[in-house]
Amino acid sequence: MTVLTLQRAPRARQEIRPGAPEETMAIASSATLIIALVCGWMLVQLLVLGGITQQRSQHLLYAEFRSQLAQATAPTGELDYNQKPIAPGSPVALLSIPKLGLQQVVVDGTASGDLMAGPGHLRSTPMPGQAGVSVVMGRASTYGAPFRELPDLVKGDHITVQNATGTVDYVVDDVRGAGDPIPAAPSGATAGRLTLVTARGSGFLSALRPGAAIYVDASTDKATSTGVVAAAVPTSEQVMGRDTAALPLLVLLLAALAGLVLAVSVARRHVRAVLVWTCAAPVAVALAWGVTDQVIRLLPNLM
Amino acid sequence: MTRMTRLLRYSAVLSVFAWVAAAVLVLLPSSAGSAVAADSEAQSQTKTLTRDYFDASGSPVTKTNKVTVHIDRHTDIQANERVHITWSGAHPTGGRTTNPFGAGGMEQEYPVMIMECRGDTDTVTPQTCWTDTSEERTQSSLADPAADDAVWLDDKGNGDADNQRISGLTDAEADAIPDGDCTFGKTLAAHITPFQAADGKISYGCSDNDMPPEAAQTSSTPPNEIEAFTDAHGNGSDDFEVRTATENASLGCSATVQCSIVVVPIEGISCTSPAQQQCNLTGNYQAGQLNDGLGADLTVSPKLWWSPSNWDNRFVFPLQLALPPSVCALSTTAGSPVAFYGSELLSQAALQWTPAYCLNKSRFNWQDNVTSDDAGFQLMQNGGAVAAEVSGRGADDADVGYAPTAVTGWGIAFEIDKPDGTQLMSLKLDARLLAKLLTESYPGSTLGASRPGLANNPYSINLDPEFQELNPGLDVRHFSEAASTLLAISNSSAVMQQVTSYIAADPEAMEWIDGKPDPWGMKVNPAYKGLKLPVTTWPLKDGWYPKESGSACLNDNPAPYLQKIASPLSSLRLISQAMFYYWPNVSTVCQFNSSTGLYELSRVPQQGIGSRFMLGLVDLGDAARYDLPVAALQAEPGHYVGANAAGMAAAVELATPAPTAAIDADKLSTKAKKQAEKQAQAAAGLLPETLDQTAFRSSGSAYPGAMVVYTAAKTTGLDKTTAARVAQFIRVSSTEGQVPGRGNGQLPDGYLPITKTGATARLYAQAQAVASVIAAQKVPQEPAASNPSASGSATASTSASASPSAVASGDTSGAAPPGSGSAPAPAAVGTAAPAAGGSVDTSSAPLVRTAAITSGLGGGLLPLLLIVGLFSGAVALGGRVWLHLKGAR
Repeated sequence: MTVLTLQRAPRARQEIRPGAPEETMAIASSATLIIALVCGWMLVQLLVLGGITQQRSQHLLYAEFRSQLAQATAPTGELDYNQKPIAPGSPVALLSIPKLGLQQVVVDGTASGDLMAGPGHLRSTPMPGQAGVSVVMGRASTYGAPFRELPDLVKGDHITVQNATGTVDYVVDDVRGAGDPIPAAPSGATAGRLTLVTARGSGFLSALRPGAAIYVDASTDKATSTGVVAAAVPTSEQVMGRDTAALPLLVLLLAALAGLVLAVSVARRHVRAVLVWTCAAPVAVALAWGVTDQVIRLLPNLM
Repeated sequence: MTRMTRLLRYSAVLSVFAWVAAAVLVLLPSSAGSAVAADSEAQSQTKTLTRDYFDASGSPVTKTNKVTVHIDRHTDIQANERVHITWSGAHPTGGRTTNPFGAGGMEQEYPVMIMECRGDTDTVTPQTCWTDTSEERTQSSLADPAADDAVWLDDKGNGDADNQRISGLTDAEADAIPDGDCTFGKTLAAHITPFQAADGKISYGCSDNDMPPEAAQTSSTPPNEIEAFTDAHGNGSDDFEVRTATENASLGCSATVQCSIVVVPIEGISCTSPAQQQCNLTGNYQAGQLNDGLGADLTVSPKLWWSPSNWDNRFVFPLQLALPPSVCALSTTAGSPVAFYGSELLSQAALQWTPAYCLNKSRFNWQDNVTSDDAGFQLMQNGGAVAAEVSGRGADDADVGYAPTAVTGWGIAFEIDKPDGTQLMSLKLDARLLAKLLTESYPGSTLGASRPGLANNPYSINLDPEFQELNPGLDVRHFSEAASTLLAISNSSAVMQQVTSYIAADPEAMEWIDGKPDPWGMKVNPAYKGLKLPVTTWPLKDGWYPKESGSACLNDNPAPYLQKIASPLSSLRLISQAMFYYWPNVSTVCQFNSSTGLYELSRVPQQGIGSRFMLGLVDLGDAARYDLPVAALQAEPGHYVGANAAGMAAAVELATPAPTAAIDADKLSTKAKKQAEKQAQAAAGLLPETLDQTAFRSSGSAYPGAMVVYTAAKTTGLDKTTAARVAQFIRVSSTEGQVPGRGNGQLPDGYLPITKTGATARLYAQAQAVASVIAAQKVPQEPAASNPSASGSATASTSASASPSAVASGDTSGAAPPGSGSAPAPAAVGTAAPAAGGSVDTSSAPLVRTAAITSGLGGGLLPLLLIVGLFSGAVALGGRVWLHLKGAR
């Protein structure tokens, strides 16, 4: 007796004829897929992967700052001990806010790219912990969002800053937004004020909509002496500034990405899909990561 | 799917991606990136000098000269100060040498020897008089009386000891001669004049090996003793440089060790017998004849200045030296020095003021350190210095008060001799001549004339018809490299700023720099054509190397020739020093250095008196101290004003007070506006006045080189003691420190006194006002001053209201890192309370509110991404499912 195995014949694939509505739908779905991928990637990068990057940066900065403090080579101003300007992105202070459970290394510079590594110190003000008004900016929703909970601070909370010269304890004076009065300048040779700047949103999905700058002022009367301060900073380092210096590298990376797509499409005609994607996927991820990082630099620095 | 379709599909995907990217970029419009500051002092003495000798026939002759010697100052003499000495009635000098200093003038006849000696009128001896070489101290000749070479043995005034074969030493000194030194054979007679140093050490001076240590310094510090020239009328003059123990420790003159200037007009040895052939000579040279190397008669030469015939004719002028600058460092009661940093223009006043502070218990140990204006100002801003001495505004000075401290200025000093050998005492210059000198447009020599573009220019300034019109009667035949340049400063300097402003205010000078030839056809050096003035550092732009110099040395040692002529120095003091040594800094002498085996370029030698031509940029304090004549500069075309009190007073009268800052009044009430105006005026009262060169140009009597030195200190943030000290300094220096004189705490020559009434009344008032403000350490309420900051930096604000996008909080201290030289920092936004007070007075002061800074992108991007992503994902998924159902996949 023969057993008849009944196999369903493979369903014949219909060729998509040019002009047919299927073709339109195919193109449309591919395009929207790409858009969805791009948007999704950016969201993931900003909210998740960026946080990972920021944590890693903080880890490395902490180690660097610790050893600088131990060797007494930590910067006390915009010039290092060789009288050369310090590089943006170098660690200058350690900021901790016990109430929020926050401990971050503050880097020098407040451009969008600098704030991807953690809170940044505005270069035209004295270093955190020094006499005078020192300004530190931080991101509110992306790249780890260190300053997200800053609006929760109230008068009387403590902030501790460890800079090259010593540890300074600040007490929060106020949290102010647009229209609130600015407190008087600190008077006295050792009076200092720390102003933390970040952004806040309101309404639906407020955590994802940091649009308005807010300021937290904290003061001390035991500040350390002031070091060298930069004369002026470009607009990219001001509050909500954008750094158009990212454009050239962005264009380069986009071109590389386009080239990758072309290469994939050519390769797919000759090689199996699995092989092609195995090679291309990591490159695509890396380029996409780079592109997004550059795009973030074009966005406001307090996001 | 056909290959074509697949390709199309992929290119569609690609283009979608490209559109997405483009859309992202379009959403972010690029903005222009912006790129990330003086008794009577004078004394005269008259003596009748005689020389008794025998003429050719053997009859006795007595030559008489009634000589009067006059000095212009003798008290409170500072180190290197030059005393002007004039004499009349002396015997005319013959055999004139170009270098009459030290041993260089020994081969003259009948000069006037001027030396610095230790001791006063009764205690000076030849043994305490300083000479630089052994030739001036020891004479030896054949002892044979028949030949009469040892002329000093014939001196009528000799005592027994002086008639010995070896004379000049006491027995004790003779015994103590080191072995091998001062040995003279039996056939020789010698007179030795040992030198006794201040510490008692004896240097025998028989040879240059046994001279005091300072004598070996002739290469870097020329000697100050001189065998000066007397003209045919019996008149002569000299500027004698006095040295203290700091410059010459062996001589050891100081405020406590008495020294004198000794003037010995050489009359010649008085002889005892007509048989003394050499003694009775009267000289080889005619009066005023130049030295031709054939030798002077020993009997009338300065080599025998110590011989009684000459030495007894001495004029002694005791000097009283001022306290040295080190008196404050050595004082134990003065306290640690409090340093003010800044302008070199204040140095000569500081010399006289410093002891009045550190020696006064109720004051502090004030110290003045010289740096450039900018560096001193930054130090003051950073807190590294208590106050700065500047001549103009500094960067980011919202909380700085400027108190006028001294009125002085710059000038063009000149050491020029007329064709008859006497010194020129007045000179006229205008802006175009200064431009010609500074732009290296005079070639200086035929080598320089081979530079393209300079062939038709006069070789040096004395050959320039423009100069000759202003100053007739000078040498018009000889050119020199030193006469083709102005010795100036190489560093950044407020003085250079003023000099170039003076040139910039003269349209003829600027046209000439832009390339238009002057009426005689001289053109600017092509390297400097179109130079924009004013500048704070004069650029050396001519890098032309001579190709065929005709000298092996120069070919091996290529150097930009005109720059080597210009050779600026790094400070005004060094320029003054070069001027009073008549030593141009021109470095074009090419010599073979045998020790290194290389050709080297070095400085030209000192200019000889009688043929000097040198110009240098100096400050007026130094010019007065070192007796350097200063040129009259053109103010209004045709009017030449000298650097005297009248000229400086007229210039100060033309100074305009600082303008009041503009107020943005639309957000303020009337009361607040009035308040803000008052504050702005108070703030302007702390700022320096402007000395405008164009204003000088329309005045017939203002000296264009006038400058005011201000003490700049913070009006907020200083501790009490420091603020009190600065205020004390300002008050003392504007009252007691403005009394003219040479004593402690007084104002030296070269400065115009600041007085309560008269041309400087406003400066006096400002000094008192600023002193009060600094003592109080309160900030007068002021709106932020408008700043010429870089374009694109959105932080400048001129209103008292909140500034957009600036750091929205109180004052930001912004001292630029040294060497940045970029736009000044944004000024502080006005604060709501005085800095010293603790309470906020909101009723009277304008409140500053936080600006609203929002970002649409920040507020909308993430939700947008989310929504778009979800939407597209849904569409894509839906599409795929539909296609799958349709069987296409």
